[in-house]
Amino acid sequence: MSTTVGAHYISEKISQVRWLPEKLTQSERFVTGTWDMDTNFVRVWRLYANPYAENVEHTPRCNDKMAIEGDVTGIEFINDDTFAVGCNDGRLSLFNVHRAVEEDQIRRTAHSERLHYYKCSQANAPCTGISVYGTDIATVGEDGRLNVLSANNLRQVKRTIEADSMSLLATSFVNQNQVVTANRMGVIRLFDVRTASDGQPTISFMAASQDSKSSNFVSAMVTHPMQQHILICGSEEGSITVWDMRHLNFPASYLSAHKTSITDIGFHRQDPSKLFTAAEGGEMWMWSDNKHLIDASQTDSSSAWLAGDRLRSLVNVDGILTNIRKAINSFDVHGSRLICGSDSEAVYIINDV
Amino acid sequence: MTEDTVSHFEIGDTLAMRCGNTLTASFVPGGSKLALSAYRPVKWNTPDAPSESAGEEPVLIYMAQETTLYTEPLLRSLLAETNATFATLQVLGQGPKGDAKKTAEYIKISRTYRSIIRCCLEKLEHAKQSPEIQENEAIKQRHADAILTFYAIECLWHLFEILYMQQQHNQLIVTQLLEWTRFHYPNTEDAATDLLLMAEEASECESYWDTLKALIMLGQLDVTRAILSQHRKFNQTAFQTADLVLKSMPVYQDGYAMQKFCSQWEYWHVDLERKLAAHVFATEPELELLMQLVSGSNEHWDAALMKSHDWYEFLPGYLLFTRPACKPFELRIAASNWINRWSGLRPNWEMTQLSRMVMQLMEHDIKLFIYESQKLGDSHWFATHLIDLIYHTGHLKSYFDQQHIDLPSLRFSMIFDYGSYLMTSHNLWQLGIDYLDCCKQEGLAAIELLLPRIPLKSERQAFKIIAMAKERGLVNVEQSICKVLSKRAYSDQRYGNALEWAMRSKDVLLVTAIADFILKHYSNTGVMLCPDVITSIGARMFVSPRLVFLSKYFEFYELYRQRDFLSGAELLINLLASKITPDYFWPSLLIDALPLLESEDPKIFSKETIAILQHLEMELVPLIERNKLNTAKFNNQSSKTVFSDYRVENVEEILDLMRLACARNLSRAMIIENTALAM
Repeated sequence: MSTTVGAHYISEKISQVRWLPEKLTQSERFVTGTWDMDTNFVRVWRLYANPYAENVEHTPRCNDKMAIEGDVTGIEFINDDTFAVGCNDGRLSLFNVHRAVEEDQIRRTAHSERLHYYKCSQANAPCTGISVYGTDIATVGEDGRLNVLSANNLRQVKRTIEADSMSLLATSFVNQNQVVTANRMGVIRLFDVRTASDGQPTISFMAASQDSKSSNFVSAMVTHPMQQHILICGSEEGSITVWDMRHLNFPASYLSAHKTSITDIGFHRQDPSKLFTAAEGGEMWMWSDNKHLIDASQTDSSSAWLAGDRLRSLVNVDGILTNIRKAINSFDVHGSRLICGSDSEAVYIINDV
Repeated sequence: MTEDTVSHFEIGDTLAMRCGNTLTASFVPGGSKLALSAYRPVKWNTPDAPSESAGEEPVLIYMAQETTLYTEPLLRSLLAETNATFATLQVLGQGPKGDAKKTAEYIKISRTYRSIIRCCLEKLEHAKQSPEIQENEAIKQRHADAILTFYAIECLWHLFEILYMQQQHNQLIVTQLLEWTRFHYPNTEDAATDLLLMAEEASECESYWDTLKALIMLGQLDVTRAILSQHRKFNQTAFQTADLVLKSMPVYQDGYAMQKFCSQWEYWHVDLERKLAAHVFATEPELELLMQLVSGSNEHWDAALMKSHDWYEFLPGYLLFTRPACKPFELRIAASNWINRWSGLRPNWEMTQLSRMVMQLMEHDIKLFIYESQKLGDSHWFATHLIDLIYHTGHLKSYFDQQHIDLPSLRFSMIFDYGSYLMTSHNLWQLGIDYLDCCKQEGLAAIELLLPRIPLKSERQAFKIIAMAKERGLVNVEQSICKVLSKRAYSDQRYGNALEWAMRSKDVLLVTAIADFILKHYSNTGVMLCPDVITSIGARMFVSPRLVFLSKYFEFYELYRQRDFLSGAELLINLLASKITPDYFWPSLLIDALPLLESEDPKIFSKETIAILQHLEMELVPLIERNKLNTAKFNNQSSKTVFSDYRVENVEEILDLMRLACARNLSRAMIIENTALAM
């Protein structure tokens, strides 16, 4: 099994990239969102077999595009052909992809009211991250607000919580009722987002850091797809902190990983034994469970990620992309294919990961 | 760059001069923008009235929009991709110099550059057909400009690669030059393909002989033979002989002795001329003409040349039939002869920039070539990358030495300019910084100037810029960005955010100011701002003593709220003794002690009570005295006093209350302590 990498320059700084979900086949389509361009676009791409080049199997071609008001800060799929887009102007949009034989099309089906704004100046605040659970969408922004909306009705915000007096950088659903948010100081808070609750954080804890005298923000968070009590955070200093949500007194594991801040973190969509991390310095690593070392007879609490100091010996690290030199902002894995979007204005498609 | 080094210059504007104004301007550093200022001597007795020309002559101001090719989004990929290649080249250049394997590597780099251009040209051509571009005249024009410029660049780069990049022994360039013209004049080849597809009918086609002639002149013998063989009369002797002539033309192969090749070729040439003299092809006048061209007959070439597009189109073909062993240094003479001949044929011909630059390359006039390449309108993309490549390969070193050109510093300034350009326009800063990184101290200084100028749209972007600054050790930039964001948040009343940015900036004054604000706000209103941030400050509090005080006081505040009075009292005593209490906060702090002192069961021991009393007398009383003095002195500026809150009027009363409370607590505490001892 050899890994091949294809770089495709697409003339845009890419902030988000996601494969279109496919149930049974390898996905051939993906969507991208851009940032820091004169006009920012959401685009849908399709891979076409490339008969000319020897090493590159596929070339992506843009099928459809839609201009959006600001930098795209988050793209998540809600179902097979609807995805939510968080934008720098503090609003959330829903897009629909129409899969066609010839050219796929996207259109905006819903646009929310302003979800994030500064109270004093009434200016728009950027939305910085979104997370999806079923049809619920959580958004966080630089105004420190946490909103929960339903994809069925973007006009009505189900819950707004003044979560923090500082910018929030990332959010993630833990389960249907609980959401974690991370701020610029590395403080992670757990909120109950049911309408009945009082909107106060039930619990808050701080990401570990090498140098306690300087700030260390948490830039990406993800929960384990099977064992949802495992929360993994990537931070400014490039380290990974793992929490067991059942014992929050101290982090379950701590790993120093990249040299630069982690931009995105995520599990393989179908194979939870693989975790991927992307870093500002242009690195993309894969962490995979060292299967033969884990005792199968033990119960679920024996997940390698909660092993504390032994974690190092239980996971293998592979550099999938190194030396890109520019930040990898986002990635997505589907089947055996990984796609990364980068500030080098290229998408990298990696086969056979 | 300081203020003095930016030179001002005068702009000769007639309107301004007539009114006695002087219009001056200076370049805004790091960009292609001008700062304009009008100056007119104004003295104390100059009447403050509208000038005599006011309202009579319209002042015309043209805001020139900066336009470059790179407004075209498709070209961004060219910049991004060449940026990666450029970085590869820099790494390659760090190794030991001058080995043969490396030359191959450099040629590879050169080809990569060219393939990037070609790929981009292809994208542009492809995009040209889309309706979006067809409908918009301006975009269409922009596309056409981009294609024209980069087509010319590719053409020149290719030629440069052939002539100067390879250093082989016995280097023969004619075949490569033929490749070059073939790529840049594809029309003939297209016509030839059509003819080949028509098979037998081809010979009836009107353009049959013209195409063949062009093919011969481009030196494409194999295709010519293939098309000839489709002719209906191909079985006749004349055609057979012609085919044989073309087939038997000697082609130089590597490892052949040069002398031997020359004599073989000479023999073939003489043989052909003899055949022509014997009128072997006389039955087929068109075929004879072809053979005349092959033999290099001047008269026939001149006639055919009238149809060519540019002077260099058929030069390689001509060389093939006249001097097949031509070497780069011989090309110089051949090219200048050829151009004389060509311009002699068309007296009205005006040289375009492209054909002039081709001539300069062929005549080995690199100096002029580089000069011209900077006028191409590609924002020096071509010149920068080419000069960088020349510098790394080192092939032309002796030439530059002879011409007294300091190649390293030329490269340096080109890269510097190009890098600064990218840093300042079209959101290309992430690419530009790589170029400036190659420029040692000057580059670093430019980065330091330009990084903070990038407009900050979001915190995520700010973090990217901060990371860049951190990587290069530019602490100032890092701090100033944090400070800007802190102030922005502060003026927007997001104090938690402002405090965190201030802590990141590690600026003591700024942190102190924001902590002060929070403390004052608390002592005025009793509301603690951004408690969530203050709780999690942790070890970061040591940036500023005021911040230490704030977080410690907050700790007390929390203990008090949780009714943990004993630990609270301990913390309060520590705070009182710490000597970091700001003046304005003394009353608040002491009033906080009041309920603890007055509590039924004593929370504060006798020793601590004495300490409180001591602080009361030693710190607060002199403070009040000083304050009184100040108010007395500046009666009208009472707002400047230390206590601006509601407690000011009653401060004397508070003082008495405190003294009484201390006394009462002292007595209670002493009784309890001594009883406990006795027991």
